[in-house]
Amino acid sequence: MEIEIKSDEEQIATEEMIIQKYQEYILEHGKEPPSIYSFCKELGIEEFQFYEFFNDFHQLAGLFWLTKFQNVKERMTADPEFANFSVREKLLSFYYGFFELLKKDRSFALISYPESKSILKGEAKNLKPLKKAYKDWAKGLVQEGIAKEEIAGRLKLSDTYDNMMWLQFMFLLNFWIDDRSKGFEKTDVAIEKSVHFSFDLIEKNALDSAIDFGKFLFQNR
Amino acid sequence: MKEQDKIPTGKFSRTGSFLKTGAKVGGNYLKYYGKRIIGEGNEEELHKDNASDIYDSLSKLKGSALKVAQMMSMDEGILPGAFSQKFSQAQYSAPPLSYPLVVKTFRDQLSKSPSEIFSSFSKNAFAAASIGQVHKAEVEGKSMAVKVQYPGVADSIHSDLRIIKPIVSSMFKISSSELDYYLEEIGARLIEETDYKLELKRSKEIALSCKHIEGLEFPKYYAEYSSERILTMDWLSGKHLNEFLALNPSQDVRDRIGQILWDFYDFQIHTLRKVHADPHPGNFLMREDASLGVIDFGCIKEFPEDFYMNYFRLMEPGISQNDEKFTKLLFDLKFLLDDDSQEEVRHFSKMYQEMHNLLCTPFFADEFDFADGNYFQEIYSMSDRFSKDKMLRKAKAARGPKDSLYLTRTYFGLYSLLHKLGSKVRTRSLVNLIFD
Repeated sequence: MEIEIKSDEEQIATEEMIIQKYQEYILEHGKEPPSIYSFCKELGIEEFQFYEFFNDFHQLAGLFWLTKFQNVKERMTADPEFANFSVREKLLSFYYGFFELLKKDRSFALISYPESKSILKGEAKNLKPLKKAYKDWAKGLVQEGIAKEEIAGRLKLSDTYDNMMWLQFMFLLNFWIDDRSKGFEKTDVAIEKSVHFSFDLIEKNALDSAIDFGKFLFQNR
Repeated sequence: MKEQDKIPTGKFSRTGSFLKTGAKVGGNYLKYYGKRIIGEGNEEELHKDNASDIYDSLSKLKGSALKVAQMMSMDEGILPGAFSQKFSQAQYSAPPLSYPLVVKTFRDQLSKSPSEIFSSFSKNAFAAASIGQVHKAEVEGKSMAVKVQYPGVADSIHSDLRIIKPIVSSMFKISSSELDYYLEEIGARLIEETDYKLELKRSKEIALSCKHIEGLEFPKYYAEYSSERILTMDWLSGKHLNEFLALNPSQDVRDRIGQILWDFYDFQIHTLRKVHADPHPGNFLMREDASLGVIDFGCIKEFPEDFYMNYFRLMEPGISQNDEKFTKLLFDLKFLLDDDSQEEVRHFSKMYQEMHNLLCTPFFADEFDFADGNYFQEIYSMSDRFSKDKMLRKAKAARGPKDSLYLTRTYFGLYSLLHKLGSKVRTRSLVNLIFD
C-alpha cells in the first residue's frame, strides 16, 4: 500500500502517524531511513516535532516489538481458559500466540530483528522494551510456578530463571526468522520441545534431591 | 497420561533413538546366543525382549515410524507373536501434545479456538492416533471426536522411512532393494494420511456405498469443523477388541460381528475396488448388540483394474492345480521374474502355490472358523520357514506387485481380527463374479 506524502503541506505530527510512516518506510525501502532529518522531511514535519515523541529509530522499532508482546498478553488474558492453565501451558500459549501475530508482520520483523550476536551481547536496542516487559512477565510466571509447585524454588538459582527464559525466547525468535518450513510448522515443534525441556529442568527433580541430600551430609558430618 | 517430553523430528534425534534400539536389540541377540550355547536359548523370550525395546523407541518417534510399527503389528503370521502383541499397543500409548499447541492448530486452520467452536472440549487427549490425537468435544449436546494432527508430520515421513530402512531390512531379512520398492508405496499412503480433508471425503464416500451392510455404522463427519489437520466426527459408542472380549460376548455376537467385518471387506475389495486398508483393532468399535462402528479412513488403497484382474485370477478355484496357467499369472504379477533361473522358477512357484493354497483356504469353503488356532499356527510356521528360505533371501530383486502390499496387509489384518474375535463366518465372496 503506497501512501503519497505531500511534503509541501504542513502535517500534524502525532505518535501514531510517526509509527505508521516509519513502518511503511521500512517495508518499502527494506531498511531504516538514512537520518531522522530525511525521514521528517519526507513526512513533512519539522525535526523537533519528531523529538517530542521519540529520540531515535530504535525506540520506534522497540515499540513495534513491545506492542506485539502486549497484544498477545491481552489476547491471552481475554481467553477465559487461560486462567486455569498451568505455568507451562501459559508459556506455550504465549509463544504460539506471539509467533502467530508476528506472522502478519514478518517482513518488518525480518528487517527490524537485530543480529543474533548482538542479542547475546545484550546490545539489541530494538528489543530492549520487549526484553523488559517479557522479563517482568516471566518473573511473575516463575513466582506463580513456585507457588503452584510446578517449578522448584532453588534460592539464588530460581532468580535467574527469567534470564534463561529470555534466552529461550530469543532462541525461538531466531529459529522463526530462519524457519522456511510450510506454515512455520518447525517453529511450533521447536516451541513444544524447548518449553518441555526447560520445564523438565526447573521442576522438582533429581537436582533438588541431590541438594537436599548434600545439605544433610554437610550438616551431619 | 504423561505429556510428551519432546517430539524428535530432526534426523539427528530420530537416528539417536534408533541407534539405541539397534544396540539393545543387538544385546538381546547376544543374550540369546549366549544362553543357547549353554543350552537354554528361548526364542520366544528373545522376541519378547526385542519387541519391547523396539517398541519403546518407536513410540518415542510417533509419526510414520509408529505407523510402520502398526503395519508390522498386523502381520500376525509374518511376525513372531511377541512383536505383534507389543506393537498392537501402539494405537493407545503415544503421549499427547500440549493443549496450547492444539489451540494454535485450531486458530491456524479454522481461525477459532476449540472453546469458541465446541461447548465443551477435553483439554487432554482422549486417545492417540498414529499421527495425531483424539479429543472429545460436544456441540449442542452431541458428542464428537476431534482428531488433531501433530505438526510437521508430512515433513518427517521421508526422513523416517530412510532411517527405518536399514533396521527393518536387517530385522525382517528383506533386502534393501526390495524394501525400496515397497517403501515407495508405503510413503505414498502415509503422505495421503496426513491430509484430513481427503480422509473426510473418502470416509463419506465409503460410508455411503456401504450403508446397505446391516449392523455397520460410520460416524457423521463435520466439514465445517474440519481442515487439513483437524477432523471432526460423531463420537461412536462401543469398545475396542480387547475390552470388548473382556465382556465375554456370546458366540452368536462374535459370529455376527465377524460376518459384518467379512462382508464389509469383501464388498470394498471386490465391488468398490478400494479398501480401508488399516484393519487395526483401534479402528473398530464393537457393541454387545452385535453392531460395529468403523473409524479412521486415513489409509485407503485403491486397486488399479489391471492389478485387480491379474491378482484375483489367482483365486479362481482349481487354478493352482493348473501349473502352466498358474506360472504364467505369477510372471504377469512379477512374483516370478524373466531372468529367474529354471530352478528358481520351479522353487518359487512351489512356494507361492503352497502359500496361496493356505491363505485362500477360508475362500474355498462355505464357512470358515477363524477361531481355529491350528490354521494360524500353520500360517505362522510357513512364513517362518519361508523367511529362512535361502534362495528367497539371496534374491535381491523385489517380488510381487507393490499394489498387493496393502491388500495382503488388509487380509492379514482381517484374518487376525476374526481370529481374536473367534468368529465363524460364511465366507461367501464377490470375487466369484469375475470367474463367471
